[in-house]
Amino acid sequence: MDWDQFDLNPKTIAALKKADIKSVKEILNLSGADLQRLMKLSSADIQCLLKTVSHALRRNSMLTALQLYQDKDHFTSQHQKLSLGCSVLDNLLKGGIPLVGITELAGESSAGKTQISLQLCLCVQYPYKYGGLESGAVYICTEDVFPSKRLQQLIDQQHKLRADVPAEIIQKIRFGNSIFVEQAADLDTFQQCITRRLSLLLARGMVRLVVIDSIAALFRCEFGPAESALKARYLQTFGAQLHSLSTRFRTPIMCINQVTDAVSESEAAQCSCRIMGSKVTPALGITWSNQLLMRLMASRTSLPTPSPGAASHCAGSMRTLSVVFAPHLPPSFCYYTVQLEGVKGVK
Amino acid sequence: LSRCRCIPAMQRELGTLPLAPALRARLAAAGFQTAQELLDTGPCGLSKEIGISREEALEALQVVRQECDGNAARPAGGPGATRKFTALELLEEEQTQGFIITFCSALDNILGGGVQLTKITEICGAPGVGKTQLCMQLAVDVQIPECFGGVAGEAVFIDTEGSFMVDRVVDIAAACVQHCHLIAEAQQEEDHQKALETFSLENILSHIYYFRCRDYTELLAQVYLLPEFLAEHSKVRLVVIDGIAFPFRHDFEDLSLRTRLLNGLAQQLIIIANDHKAAVVLTNQMTTRIGQSQSTLVPALGESWGHAATVRLILHWDNSQSNILMVLIQTQGFRIWWLSRKFLVLSAFF
Repeated sequence: MDWDQFDLNPKTIAALKKADIKSVKEILNLSGADLQRLMKLSSADIQCLLKTVSHALRRNSMLTALQLYQDKDHFTSQHQKLSLGCSVLDNLLKGGIPLVGITELAGESSAGKTQISLQLCLCVQYPYKYGGLESGAVYICTEDVFPSKRLQQLIDQQHKLRADVPAEIIQKIRFGNSIFVEQAADLDTFQQCITRRLSLLLARGMVRLVVIDSIAALFRCEFGPAESALKARYLQTFGAQLHSLSTRFRTPIMCINQVTDAVSESEAAQCSCRIMGSKVTPALGITWSNQLLMRLMASRTSLPTPSPGAASHCAGSMRTLSVVFAPHLPPSFCYYTVQLEGVKGVK
Repeated sequence: LSRCRCIPAMQRELGTLPLAPALRARLAAAGFQTAQELLDTGPCGLSKEIGISREEALEALQVVRQECDGNAARPAGGPGATRKFTALELLEEEQTQGFIITFCSALDNILGGGVQLTKITEICGAPGVGKTQLCMQLAVDVQIPECFGGVAGEAVFIDTEGSFMVDRVVDIAAACVQHCHLIAEAQQEEDHQKALETFSLENILSHIYYFRCRDYTELLAQVYLLPEFLAEHSKVRLVVIDGIAFPFRHDFEDLSLRTRLLNGLAQQLIIIANDHKAAVVLTNQMTTRIGQSQSTLVPALGESWGHAATVRLILHWDNSQSNILMVLIQTQGFRIWWLSRKFLVLSAFF
């Protein structure tokens, strides 16, 4: 660290170099008394040092809520969200997925979680005007093989799903080229993937969506009941790394999670998932829930399809997408079906 | 804590005390003659009798006390010596501090009037129970004009998780302004109308000062800079840190370092709360404590952190998720209150 660039008096700079203090973090981690002892400076000098390095670290960091509200810039604005490609679903989420933070999509198998994720990988590639982020996506598979056939189907049918977008724009997008598929079946591979591959793709601006399908599978076999503390640490570390990447690159992280039967009523209640009367709880417990900005739950409903007589290409049984918690949304839900062209909300 | 007050200086005439002439005139008109009479009345009684605010009454009494103490044997510390108070005086002083009201009577009730200035309030709960909502609500409510029962202050919002969504704050602010309009209509008082002219959505948003801290080093630096910021923005009456746990729950091989840093933070926040007469509100996560036969949810960051806040409010879902159980723990004991879920979701969600 080049201490000369800071607005400090030469005595302090010399003391910093002599005490071999290499970073602002080190300074802030030491107590006032330790700093005085290490650097042999007076308490007033230390206070001055702390203020100066704090100023340097936090220069220009204040915004008023009004400035946040009025910011319309594509990259920084809070109003910018990642659309799901369907106006009904976007309305449920008041625009779409927030760009900073980890969003979880939990649900039973065949509820449609992978379908929604694939759809997002296509939506992200559209221009800002159409709810996209003009960039690609990383899809990290942790258990199943990537559904390339289904992806191709969805690509072929984009013009049908996105009737709001002019055909020439859709034709210009090379959807397949911008989806990067990674396989990570265990924790070490996953760790490598995040720290190397993901950081690289994000730094180059090639992707602005990360999908992890699924986060639960990584932890299923590796930890016995006595290792819950170790499991919690892994969860917190991954959560923090993903959160940090998301913040730095303003990229939404979509984690798919499985559900398990709620062990007790009170556990189900604390994990906020009794809304639809379901007795399941997302896997990985409160440690993981604490890392999330938003939790969505996808489930199969027992309601019949709205128009049983009409032809539809897929077994269109009704599904439910619910907002379990989000800082900006009330608990709410909407219905959707999975069609050939993708996931569509039902009004 | 009580100190003997039997010194002749107390019989001093008011005219010899260094009080503002206007104040002296009011005291004379109300029949006060000696310093003793003033001190016997106390700040609350004094403010009522001569029609001044409690703060002014307190200040006046402090001046009187200092003058009288000055004539007694001087303490070794000299002119800058610390003031001495009886426990009763401290209690009275505490009761004159403002509260940030929330317009949610269940919440204001359990808090004993609202979120208290000069104190640290910690809000704990599982994800989704409403901690960030409550903080956003308080950042709006701190700005409520005095004629509506508020403290007419401004807010600092330190966000460590990125969960501050300005659209939601806009909803909350709009609902609060509307609520005040309804009060003004019902009560038809002139100062209400005047206050509403400046209590607008844009004004409210412009007085929430937002800081995003991405790790604990940025948070520590920000808190070092707070006293200076608050000196420059003297109307700030609320400092929110949402959440205090997030940056401290990973990346710490050395838990003793974490404990020391958290203790240091707590000390700084206590001083800030007192010096700037602000409420400090922190949110904390819940973690599982594994017991012998079962596990329970407890606030994160460990046992020693548990004593940092003056008031700890724990929000807990009941099993049906339609009610929130609020448990308030403070040095004087604890209170428990049920809150129907829809009341915590305060404004535009009705």
